[in-house]
Amino acid sequence: MSADAETAPAARTSLTAPAAAWRARLLALLGVGAAALLYTRLERIAVFLTYDLGGLARGSHLGAALAFFLFEVPKVLLLLTAVVFVVGVVRSWVTPERARQLLAGRREASGNVLAALLGIATPFCSCSAVPLFIGFVTAGVPLGVTFSFLVSAPMINEVALVLLFGLFGGKVAGLYLATGLSVAFLSGLVLGRLNLERHVEPWVWKIRSGSSVTASEKRFADRVADGRAAVADIVGSVWLYVVLGIAVGAGIHGFVPTNFMASFMGKGVWWGVPLAVLLGVPMYSNAAGIIPVVQALLGKGAALGTVLAFMMSVIALSLPEMIILRKVLRPTLIAAFVGIVAAGILVVGYLFNAVM
Amino acid sequence: MSERRRIEVLGPGCTRCKETFRVVQSVVEQAGVDADVVKQESIERMMELGLLSTPGIAIDGKIVFSGRIPRVEDVRQALGLT
Repeated sequence: MSADAETAPAARTSLTAPAAAWRARLLALLGVGAAALLYTRLERIAVFLTYDLGGLARGSHLGAALAFFLFEVPKVLLLLTAVVFVVGVVRSWVTPERARQLLAGRREASGNVLAALLGIATPFCSCSAVPLFIGFVTAGVPLGVTFSFLVSAPMINEVALVLLFGLFGGKVAGLYLATGLSVAFLSGLVLGRLNLERHVEPWVWKIRSGSSVTASEKRFADRVADGRAAVADIVGSVWLYVVLGIAVGAGIHGFVPTNFMASFMGKGVWWGVPLAVLLGVPMYSNAAGIIPVVQALLGKGAALGTVLAFMMSVIALSLPEMIILRKVLRPTLIAAFVGIVAAGILVVGYLFNAVM
Repeated sequence: MSERRRIEVLGPGCTRCKETFRVVQSVVEQAGVDADVVKQESIERMMELGLLSTPGIAIDGKIVFSGRIPRVEDVRQALGLT
Protein backbone atom coordinates (compact mmCIF):
# COMPACT_ATOMS: atom_id res chain seq x y z
CA MET A 1 0.00 0.00 0.00
CA SER A 2 1.09 3.60 -0.42
CA ALA A 3 2.02 4.04 3.25
CA ASP A 4 4.47 1.15 3.05
CA ALA A 5 5.98 2.49 -0.16
CA GLU A 6 6.68 5.81 1.54
CA THR A 7 8.27 4.42 4.68
CA ALA A 8 10.20 1.57 3.05
CA PRO A 9 12.88 3.72 1.36
CA ALA A 10 13.53 5.61 4.60
CA ALA A 11 14.08 2.38 6.46
CA ARG A 12 16.61 1.22 3.87
CA THR A 13 18.91 4.27 4.33
CA SER A 14 21.80 3.35 6.58
CA LEU A 15 23.02 6.91 7.26
CA THR A 16 21.14 9.96 8.49
CA ALA A 17 21.31 13.01 6.25
CA PRO A 18 24.01 14.95 8.23
CA ALA A 19 26.22 11.85 8.46
CA ALA A 20 25.90 11.27 4.74
CA ALA A 21 26.95 14.87 4.12
CA TRP A 22 30.07 14.40 6.28
CA ARG A 23 30.94 11.22 4.45
CA ALA A 24 30.65 13.08 1.14
CA ARG A 25 32.95 15.82 2.44
CA LEU A 26 35.51 13.28 3.66
CA LEU A 27 35.49 11.48 0.34
CA ALA A 28 35.91 14.80 -1.47
CA LEU A 29 38.85 15.71 0.76
CA LEU A 30 40.51 12.33 0.16
CA GLY A 31 39.94 12.75 -3.56
CA VAL A 32 41.60 16.15 -3.52
CA GLY A 33 44.54 14.79 -1.52
CA ALA A 34 45.01 11.90 -3.92
CA ALA A 35 44.87 14.24 -6.89
CA ALA A 36 47.46 16.54 -5.34
CA LEU A 37 49.79 13.60 -4.69
CA LEU A 38 49.33 12.37 -8.24
CA TYR A 39 50.13 15.84 -9.52
CA THR A 40 53.59 15.79 -7.98
CA ARG A 41 54.35 12.42 -9.55
CA LEU A 42 53.15 13.19 -13.07
CA GLU A 43 56.47 13.93 -14.72
CA ARG A 44 58.02 10.76 -13.34
CA ILE A 45 55.02 8.73 -14.50
CA ALA A 46 55.18 10.22 -17.99
CA VAL A 47 58.90 9.49 -18.31
CA PHE A 48 58.36 5.95 -17.04
CA LEU A 49 55.53 5.27 -19.47
CA THR A 50 57.39 6.66 -22.46
CA TYR A 51 60.89 5.31 -22.02
CA ASP A 52 60.72 2.35 -19.65
CA LEU A 53 57.36 0.90 -20.57
CA GLY A 54 57.12 2.21 -24.12
CA GLY A 55 60.68 1.33 -24.96
CA LEU A 56 61.39 4.56 -26.81
CA ALA A 57 64.96 5.81 -26.92
CA ARG A 58 65.79 8.79 -24.75
CA GLY A 59 66.61 11.75 -26.90
CA SER A 60 64.43 10.55 -29.76
CA HIS A 61 61.89 12.92 -31.35
CA LEU A 62 58.93 10.65 -30.67
CA GLY A 63 60.07 10.05 -27.12
CA ALA A 64 60.32 13.75 -26.40
CA ALA A 65 56.93 14.41 -27.93
CA LEU A 66 55.20 11.55 -26.13
CA ALA A 67 56.71 12.30 -22.73
CA PHE A 68 55.67 15.94 -23.13
CA PHE A 69 52.14 14.90 -24.03
CA LEU A 70 51.75 12.35 -21.22
CA PHE A 71 53.06 14.82 -18.66
CA GLU A 72 51.21 17.92 -19.74
CA VAL A 73 47.72 16.53 -20.39
CA PRO A 74 46.93 15.25 -16.87
CA LYS A 75 48.86 18.10 -15.30
CA VAL A 76 46.95 20.83 -17.11
CA LEU A 77 43.58 19.10 -16.71
CA LEU A 78 44.07 18.64 -12.96
CA LEU A 79 45.16 22.24 -12.52
CA LEU A 80 42.27 23.46 -14.62
CA THR A 81 39.69 21.44 -12.68
CA ALA A 82 40.93 22.76 -9.36
CA VAL A 83 40.97 26.41 -10.37
CA VAL A 84 37.74 26.35 -12.37
CA PHE A 85 36.02 24.90 -9.32
CA VAL A 86 37.33 27.57 -6.96
CA VAL A 87 36.54 30.37 -9.39
CA GLY A 88 33.13 28.85 -10.08
CA VAL A 89 32.33 29.18 -6.41
CA VAL A 90 33.65 32.75 -6.28
CA ARG A 91 31.62 33.63 -9.37
CA SER A 92 28.38 32.93 -7.63
CA TRP A 93 29.05 36.28 -5.96
CA VAL A 94 30.31 38.25 -8.97
CA THR A 95 27.68 38.15 -11.70
CA PRO A 96 27.33 40.33 -14.81
CA GLU A 97 24.24 41.86 -13.20
CA ARG A 98 26.24 42.92 -10.17
CA ALA A 99 29.04 44.20 -12.41
CA ARG A 100 26.53 46.33 -14.26
CA GLN A 101 25.17 47.72 -11.00
CA LEU A 102 28.66 48.59 -9.85
CA LEU A 103 29.64 50.26 -13.11
CA ALA A 104 26.50 52.24 -13.97
CA GLY A 105 27.11 55.96 -14.05
CA ARG A 106 30.79 55.72 -13.12
CA ARG A 107 33.20 58.35 -14.33
CA GLU A 108 35.97 57.45 -16.72
CA ALA A 109 39.33 56.31 -15.34
CA SER A 110 37.97 54.87 -12.09
CA GLY A 111 35.21 53.19 -14.08
CA ASN A 112 37.73 51.76 -16.53
CA VAL A 113 39.84 50.31 -13.73
CA LEU A 114 36.84 48.73 -12.05
CA ALA A 115 35.52 47.39 -15.35
CA ALA A 116 38.86 45.80 -16.21
CA LEU A 117 39.03 44.18 -12.76
CA LEU A 118 35.45 42.97 -12.85
CA GLY A 119 36.03 41.48 -16.28
CA ILE A 120 38.46 39.02 -14.76
CA ALA A 121 35.92 37.63 -12.36
CA THR A 122 33.02 37.55 -14.78
CA PRO A 123 32.40 34.60 -17.07
CA PHE A 124 32.22 35.43 -20.72
CA CYS A 125 30.92 33.64 -23.76
CA SER A 126 31.18 35.34 -27.16
CA CYS A 127 27.47 34.96 -27.63
CA SER A 128 26.91 37.05 -24.51
CA ALA A 129 28.76 39.97 -26.07
CA VAL A 130 25.68 41.58 -27.55
CA PRO A 131 23.25 41.31 -24.61
CA LEU A 132 26.05 42.33 -22.30
CA PHE A 133 26.97 45.36 -24.39
CA ILE A 134 23.40 46.56 -24.73
CA GLY A 135 22.59 45.83 -21.12
CA PHE A 136 25.58 47.84 -19.94
CA VAL A 137 25.23 50.93 -22.14
CA THR A 138 21.48 51.22 -21.65
CA ALA A 139 21.95 51.02 -17.90
CA GLY A 140 24.22 54.05 -17.97
CA VAL A 141 27.65 52.45 -18.07
CA PRO A 142 29.84 54.77 -20.19
CA LEU A 143 30.87 53.40 -23.58
CA GLY A 144 34.59 53.37 -22.80
CA VAL A 145 34.02 51.60 -19.49
CA THR A 146 31.94 48.97 -21.26
CA PHE A 147 34.80 48.40 -23.67
CA SER A 148 37.27 47.94 -20.84
CA PHE A 149 34.99 45.21 -19.59
CA LEU A 150 34.62 43.65 -23.04
CA VAL A 151 38.39 43.45 -23.49
CA SER A 152 39.16 42.17 -20.03
CA ALA A 153 36.47 39.51 -19.74
CA PRO A 154 37.51 37.13 -22.51
CA MET A 155 41.23 37.79 -22.30
CA ILE A 156 41.87 37.55 -18.59
CA ASN A 157 40.12 34.55 -17.25
CA GLU A 158 41.05 31.89 -14.79
CA VAL A 159 41.67 29.34 -17.51
CA ALA A 160 44.36 31.48 -19.13
CA LEU A 161 45.95 32.41 -15.81
CA VAL A 162 45.99 28.85 -14.54
CA LEU A 163 47.54 27.52 -17.70
CA LEU A 164 50.15 30.25 -17.79
CA PHE A 165 50.97 29.63 -14.15
CA GLY A 166 51.13 25.87 -14.63
CA LEU A 167 53.29 26.03 -17.73
CA PHE A 168 55.42 29.12 -17.20
CA GLY A 169 55.27 29.96 -13.53
CA GLY A 170 53.89 32.78 -11.43
CA LYS A 171 55.98 35.56 -12.91
CA VAL A 172 54.67 35.13 -16.44
CA ALA A 173 51.10 34.66 -15.22
CA GLY A 174 51.39 37.79 -13.09
CA LEU A 175 52.80 39.79 -15.99
CA TYR A 176 50.03 38.61 -18.29
CA LEU A 177 47.49 39.70 -15.70
CA ALA A 178 49.08 43.10 -15.22
CA THR A 179 49.56 43.85 -18.90
CA GLY A 180 46.15 42.46 -19.83
CA LEU A 181 44.53 44.76 -17.30
CA SER A 182 46.53 47.68 -18.66
CA VAL A 183 45.45 46.97 -22.21
CA ALA A 184 41.83 46.67 -21.09
CA PHE A 185 42.03 49.84 -19.03
CA LEU A 186 43.81 51.97 -21.61
CA SER A 187 41.88 50.85 -24.66
CA GLY A 188 38.60 51.53 -22.87
CA LEU A 189 39.86 54.90 -21.72
CA VAL A 190 40.99 55.93 -25.20
CA LEU A 191 37.83 54.66 -26.84
CA GLY A 192 35.76 56.55 -24.30
CA ARG A 193 37.62 59.79 -25.00
CA LEU A 194 37.00 59.47 -28.73
CA ASN A 195 33.27 59.95 -28.12
CA LEU A 196 32.22 57.32 -30.58
CA GLU A 197 28.69 56.98 -29.22
CA ARG A 198 27.23 57.93 -32.58
CA HIS A 199 28.87 54.84 -34.08
CA VAL A 200 26.80 52.53 -31.96
CA GLU A 201 23.81 51.27 -33.92
CA PRO A 202 20.95 53.71 -33.17
CA TRP A 203 18.41 51.06 -32.26
CA VAL A 204 20.51 50.12 -29.24
CA TRP A 205 19.85 53.43 -27.52
CA LYS A 206 16.12 53.00 -27.96
CA ILE A 207 15.97 49.79 -25.99
CA ARG A 208 14.36 49.89 -22.62
CA SER A 209 16.44 47.62 -20.47
CA GLY A 210 14.75 45.96 -17.57
CA SER A 211 16.73 44.91 -14.54
CA SER A 212 16.35 41.30 -13.65
CA VAL A 213 15.77 40.23 -10.11
CA THR A 214 18.77 38.14 -9.20
CA ALA A 215 18.86 35.83 -6.22
CA SER A 216 21.75 37.15 -4.18
CA GLU A 217 20.95 34.99 -1.21
CA LYS A 218 22.38 31.58 -1.93
CA ARG A 219 23.25 28.87 0.49
CA PHE A 220 26.88 27.85 0.50
CA ALA A 221 25.90 24.38 -0.68
CA ASP A 222 24.41 26.03 -3.77
CA ARG A 223 27.66 27.89 -4.39
CA VAL A 224 29.60 24.63 -4.15
CA ALA A 225 27.14 23.19 -6.63
CA ASP A 226 27.88 26.18 -8.86
CA GLY A 227 31.57 25.31 -8.64
CA ARG A 228 30.94 21.74 -9.66
CA ALA A 229 28.65 22.87 -12.47
CA ALA A 230 31.37 25.24 -13.65
CA VAL A 231 33.83 22.34 -13.80
CA ALA A 232 31.38 20.19 -15.74
CA ASP A 233 30.62 23.11 -18.05
CA ILE A 234 34.05 24.64 -18.64
CA VAL A 235 36.37 21.66 -18.34
CA GLY A 236 33.78 19.61 -20.17
CA SER A 237 33.81 21.92 -23.16
CA VAL A 238 37.48 22.82 -23.12
CA TRP A 239 39.28 19.53 -22.43
CA LEU A 240 39.41 18.48 -26.07
CA TYR A 241 41.01 21.80 -27.06
CA VAL A 242 43.53 21.32 -24.27
CA VAL A 243 44.40 17.81 -25.45
CA LEU A 244 44.64 18.93 -29.09
CA GLY A 245 46.65 21.99 -28.14
CA ILE A 246 49.05 19.86 -26.12
CA ALA A 247 49.28 17.36 -28.97
CA VAL A 248 50.31 20.16 -31.34
CA GLY A 249 52.67 21.46 -28.68
CA ALA A 250 54.11 17.98 -28.21
CA GLY A 251 54.71 17.67 -31.93
CA ILE A 252 56.49 21.00 -32.03
CA HIS A 253 58.43 20.12 -28.89
CA GLY A 254 59.59 16.79 -30.23
CA PHE A 255 60.08 17.38 -33.92
CA VAL A 256 60.77 21.02 -34.67
CA PRO A 257 64.45 21.88 -34.45
CA THR A 258 65.46 24.11 -31.59
CA ASN A 259 65.67 27.78 -32.51
CA PHE A 260 63.62 27.24 -35.66
CA MET A 261 61.12 29.77 -34.39
CA ALA A 262 63.85 32.23 -33.56
CA SER A 263 64.21 33.05 -37.23
CA PHE A 264 60.85 34.74 -37.50
CA MET A 265 59.48 34.93 -34.00
CA GLY A 266 62.67 35.62 -32.13
CA LYS A 267 63.85 38.78 -30.49
CA GLY A 268 66.07 39.92 -33.29
CA VAL A 269 63.26 40.43 -35.76
CA TRP A 270 61.50 43.78 -35.28
CA TRP A 271 58.51 42.73 -37.34
CA GLY A 272 57.93 39.59 -35.25
CA VAL A 273 55.49 41.26 -32.86
CA PRO A 274 53.26 42.98 -35.46
CA LEU A 275 53.22 39.77 -37.47
CA ALA A 276 52.15 37.79 -34.42
CA VAL A 277 49.32 40.25 -33.68
CA LEU A 278 48.15 40.17 -37.30
CA LEU A 279 48.21 36.38 -37.36
CA GLY A 280 46.14 36.29 -34.20
CA VAL A 281 43.24 38.44 -35.38
CA PRO A 282 41.56 36.00 -37.78
CA MET A 283 42.27 33.09 -35.49
CA TYR A 284 40.15 32.24 -32.58
CA SER A 285 40.81 29.84 -29.82
CA ASN A 286 40.08 29.80 -26.18
CA ALA A 287 43.01 30.07 -23.84
CA ALA A 288 43.09 26.36 -23.15
CA GLY A 289 43.91 25.41 -26.69
CA ILE A 290 46.43 28.07 -27.51
CA ILE A 291 48.65 28.09 -24.44
CA PRO A 292 50.19 24.65 -24.90
CA VAL A 293 51.07 25.70 -28.44
CA VAL A 294 52.57 28.87 -27.02
CA GLN A 295 54.72 26.85 -24.65
CA ALA A 296 56.10 24.72 -27.44
CA LEU A 297 56.83 27.77 -29.59
CA LEU A 298 58.71 29.32 -26.71
CA GLY A 299 60.75 26.19 -26.29
CA LYS A 300 61.84 26.54 -29.90
CA GLY A 301 63.24 30.01 -29.59
CA ALA A 302 60.28 32.29 -30.11
CA ALA A 303 60.52 35.41 -27.98
CA LEU A 304 58.18 35.66 -24.98
CA GLY A 305 56.76 39.04 -25.98
CA THR A 306 55.98 37.93 -29.51
CA VAL A 307 54.31 34.77 -28.34
CA LEU A 308 52.24 36.50 -25.65
CA ALA A 309 51.17 39.13 -28.18
CA PHE A 310 50.05 36.33 -30.45
CA MET A 311 48.10 34.71 -27.66
CA MET A 312 46.37 37.91 -26.60
CA SER A 313 45.52 38.68 -30.19
CA VAL A 314 44.00 35.26 -30.75
CA ILE A 315 41.85 35.45 -27.63
CA ALA A 316 40.91 39.11 -27.36
CA LEU A 317 40.49 39.95 -31.03
CA SER A 318 38.39 37.16 -32.33
CA LEU A 319 36.77 37.43 -35.72
CA PRO A 320 33.63 35.58 -34.59
CA GLU A 321 33.15 38.05 -31.76
CA MET A 322 33.62 41.02 -34.09
CA ILE A 323 31.00 39.59 -36.42
CA ILE A 324 28.63 39.19 -33.50
CA LEU A 325 29.30 42.74 -32.31
CA ARG A 326 28.47 44.05 -35.79
CA LYS A 327 24.86 43.82 -34.71
CA VAL A 328 25.34 46.64 -32.28
CA LEU A 329 28.44 48.48 -33.44
CA ARG A 330 29.07 50.25 -36.72
CA PRO A 331 32.19 49.28 -38.71
CA THR A 332 34.00 52.48 -37.68
CA LEU A 333 33.64 51.63 -34.02
CA ILE A 334 34.63 48.00 -34.56
CA ALA A 335 37.71 49.18 -36.46
CA ALA A 336 38.56 51.60 -33.66
CA PHE A 337 38.10 48.86 -31.09
CA VAL A 338 40.30 46.38 -32.97
CA GLY A 339 42.89 49.00 -33.78
CA ILE A 340 43.29 50.31 -30.26
CA VAL A 341 43.37 46.90 -28.62
CA ALA A 342 45.84 45.65 -31.25
CA ALA A 343 48.03 48.68 -30.56
CA GLY A 344 47.95 47.92 -26.85
CA ILE A 345 48.92 44.31 -27.49
CA LEU A 346 51.76 45.46 -29.76
CA VAL A 347 53.14 47.62 -26.96
CA VAL A 348 52.91 44.69 -24.55
CA GLY A 349 54.73 42.47 -27.01
CA TYR A 350 57.62 44.88 -27.53
CA LEU A 351 57.82 45.59 -23.83
CA PHE A 352 58.12 41.92 -22.93
CA ASN A 353 60.76 41.34 -25.59
CA ALA A 354 62.76 44.28 -24.34
CA VAL A 355 62.49 43.47 -20.66
CA MET A 356 62.52 39.68 -20.41
CA MET B 1 -7.20 24.95 -12.89
CA SER B 2 -3.65 26.33 -12.99
CA GLU B 3 -2.56 28.30 -16.03
CA ARG B 4 -0.20 26.82 -18.57
CA ARG B 5 3.19 28.37 -17.85
CA ARG B 6 5.43 29.85 -20.48
CA ILE B 7 9.11 29.00 -20.33
CA GLU B 8 11.49 30.91 -22.59
CA VAL B 9 15.03 29.76 -23.21
CA LEU B 10 16.94 32.86 -24.25
CA GLY B 11 20.07 32.93 -26.35
CA PRO B 12 21.33 33.99 -29.78
CA GLY B 13 21.58 30.45 -31.06
CA CYS B 14 24.96 29.15 -30.02
CA THR B 15 25.51 25.57 -28.90
CA ARG B 16 25.17 26.43 -25.20
CA CYS B 17 21.72 27.89 -25.77
CA LYS B 18 20.61 24.84 -27.74
CA GLU B 19 21.88 22.55 -25.00
CA THR B 20 20.01 24.61 -22.40
CA PHE B 21 16.83 24.26 -24.43
CA ARG B 22 17.32 20.51 -24.58
CA VAL B 23 17.82 20.25 -20.81
CA VAL B 24 14.74 22.36 -20.03
CA GLN B 25 12.60 20.43 -22.47
CA SER B 26 13.61 17.06 -21.07
CA VAL B 27 12.95 18.15 -17.47
CA VAL B 28 9.54 19.55 -18.42
CA GLU B 29 8.62 16.35 -20.23
CA GLN B 30 9.85 14.00 -17.52
CA ALA B 31 8.23 15.95 -14.70
CA GLY B 32 5.03 16.38 -16.66
CA VAL B 33 4.96 20.13 -16.06
CA ASP B 34 2.16 21.95 -17.85
CA ALA B 35 4.22 24.47 -19.80
CA ASP B 36 5.20 25.71 -23.24
CA VAL B 37 8.94 25.74 -23.82
CA VAL B 38 10.07 28.19 -26.51
CA LYS B 39 13.45 29.20 -27.85
CA GLN B 40 13.83 32.96 -27.79
CA GLU B 41 16.55 34.52 -29.94
CA SER B 42 15.31 38.10 -29.95
CA ILE B 43 17.72 40.59 -28.42
CA GLU B 44 14.86 42.94 -27.64
CA ARG B 45 13.18 40.31 -25.50
CA MET B 46 16.46 39.56 -23.70
CA MET B 47 16.86 43.24 -22.91
CA GLU B 48 13.26 43.59 -21.84
CA LEU B 49 13.80 40.89 -19.26
CA GLY B 50 17.17 42.25 -18.22
CA LEU B 51 19.24 39.27 -19.32
CA LEU B 52 22.96 39.97 -19.53
CA SER B 53 24.69 36.64 -19.92
CA THR B 54 23.34 33.94 -22.12
CA PRO B 55 21.95 31.35 -21.96
CA GLY B 56 19.00 32.37 -19.81
CA ILE B 57 15.75 30.82 -18.68
CA ALA B 58 12.61 32.88 -18.02
CA ILE B 59 9.36 31.54 -16.59
CA ASP B 60 6.26 33.66 -17.24
CA GLY B 61 8.38 36.69 -18.02
CA LYS B 62 10.81 36.47 -15.11
CA ILE B 63 14.44 35.43 -15.37
CA VAL B 64 15.10 32.45 -13.10
CA PHE B 65 18.49 31.30 -14.34
CA SER B 66 21.31 32.65 -16.47
CA GLY B 67 24.98 32.50 -17.33
CA ARG B 68 25.66 28.85 -18.03
CA ILE B 69 24.11 25.57 -19.14
CA PRO B 70 21.81 24.48 -16.31
CA ARG B 71 21.97 21.07 -14.79
CA VAL B 72 18.78 19.10 -14.36
CA GLU B 73 18.69 20.09 -10.67
CA ASP B 74 18.93 23.79 -11.59
CA VAL B 75 15.91 23.54 -13.87
CA ARG B 76 13.94 21.54 -11.33
CA GLN B 77 14.74 24.12 -8.66
CA ALA B 78 13.69 26.95 -10.98
CA LEU B 79 10.40 25.22 -11.68
CA GLY B 80 9.80 24.77 -7.96
CA LEU B 81 9.92 21.01 -8.24
CA THR B 82 12.47 20.30 -5.52
